[in-house]
Amino acid sequence: TPISAGLLERKASLCILVDSREISSGSEIISSLKAVHGVKVQVCSLGGCDYIVSNRMAVERRTQSELLNSMNRNRVTQRIQHLQSMFERICVIVEKDRIKAGETSRLFQRTKYYDAMLSALIRAGIRILFSSCQEESAHLLKDLVLVEQRKNVAICVPTEVKGAKEEALRFYLSIPNISYLAALNMCHGFASVKKMVNSSPKDIATGAQVSQQKAEEIYRYIHSGFDLQMLPEKLHAKGKSNT
Amino acid sequence: MTAKETTSVEAGAVSVPYGHVIGNEKWRGSQIARGLQGKIKLILEDGLGFVDFHLSNRSCILYISEADLVAGNGFKRRLVRFRNASSLHGIVIVEKTQISDQYFPAVQKFIVLELGMTLLPVANQGEASQLIIQLVHEQSKDHTSNPFLHKKCSQLAEASILRTVQQIPGVGKTKALLLLQQFVSIHQLCNASVQDLELVVGQTIAQQIHAFFTQTK
Repeated sequence: TPISAGLLERKASLCILVDSREISSGSEIISSLKAVHGVKVQVCSLGGCDYIVSNRMAVERRTQSELLNSMNRNRVTQRIQHLQSMFERICVIVEKDRIKAGETSRLFQRTKYYDAMLSALIRAGIRILFSSCQEESAHLLKDLVLVEQRKNVAICVPTEVKGAKEEALRFYLSIPNISYLAALNMCHGFASVKKMVNSSPKDIATGAQVSQQKAEEIYRYIHSGFDLQMLPEKLHAKGKSNT
Repeated sequence: MTAKETTSVEAGAVSVPYGHVIGNEKWRGSQIARGLQGKIKLILEDGLGFVDFHLSNRSCILYISEADLVAGNGFKRRLVRFRNASSLHGIVIVEKTQISDQYFPAVQKFIVLELGMTLLPVANQGEASQLIIQLVHEQSKDHTSNPFLHKKCSQLAEASILRTVQQIPGVGKTKALLLLQQFVSIHQLCNASVQDLELVVGQTIAQQIHAFFTQTK
């Protein structure tokens, strides 16, 4: 029937962006997404974000041991705060640590810190998923892509850009607190950089597929006046010495 | 019956005192109740409906034991009925043991991805009580103590604007500064004519900048 054909077609277009750092730390996730789940995987430099599964959602992958004590506290919280500045929704996959060669099995000793961390994440509305291995993480990622697709926020622009579009992408990526995907959407949603810069917040929201609030933030940035006096000393001095 | 359970869910929800937990009477004498003792005030009540513990006026815990998981799909009906009846944020604590481990992926998919609820696995009731203590502490803490809730103060835009302008091919820091002193904002710079730009950076770069902004492929 035409309906099931349509469904198949949509399923075939499942797409996920993966940060290049995951090539070394999550190689089984990448291969499993491709081979087992038939998801289109685009590896690129996402700048502080492990996976992007939709226009609005980023996924951060953390091992259980990283959340067990305060040793990694700053790194973990900064990463997540950074994601919060860019994405409407964040999901953390807590993955069981791998058993290294020579180890028999690693006993998971739950800590107060771990419970407090989970509690803080939950209170802030961050989703948490638990995974026992990389294959399971891949499965969860695919499920997230599917859920987001059902809500019509799937990644639906070409994920590879070349030539002039690539230059425009770099330009858009330098806008503060913009996600890689919002920048990518802009490349495809606006005929030229000039069109984008002259857009209203409403048009930015549509073109970049971001919330109205985020669109207004971008609009303000584009229109904000540059005051040389406010430039940090370092950048300021260097620029001056050249003139 | 359903109506009664609905009201009991709501009624229990509005009366949780700060730092307290209101628990379902059925937990009296349990390992969880004992684990909470001395750490937080636990009040046990009848008629909480599907809810096992009320943490605050907004969130509550539904507990799914290893036995519930092994017994089949009864717990699913309970969760769905809770979801339909209550506007509370439901945190589902699931016993993930060697025996129930095999069910976990499917249970997680159902609870988190289909129902949109929160799920936290524990190994036993002892772990559950420790987790509940932290959940209650978090709820009764000030907003600002949660690193994921307080807004970062926004940085000055100047350094970012300079960086953005430097993304234009052919424009380094020196030219970017010259351009911004002349055109003030990205918006104005983008709408400058080639002639305007030439006055600042010379013909070749002026054309390059103009082309970057206006090219359509």
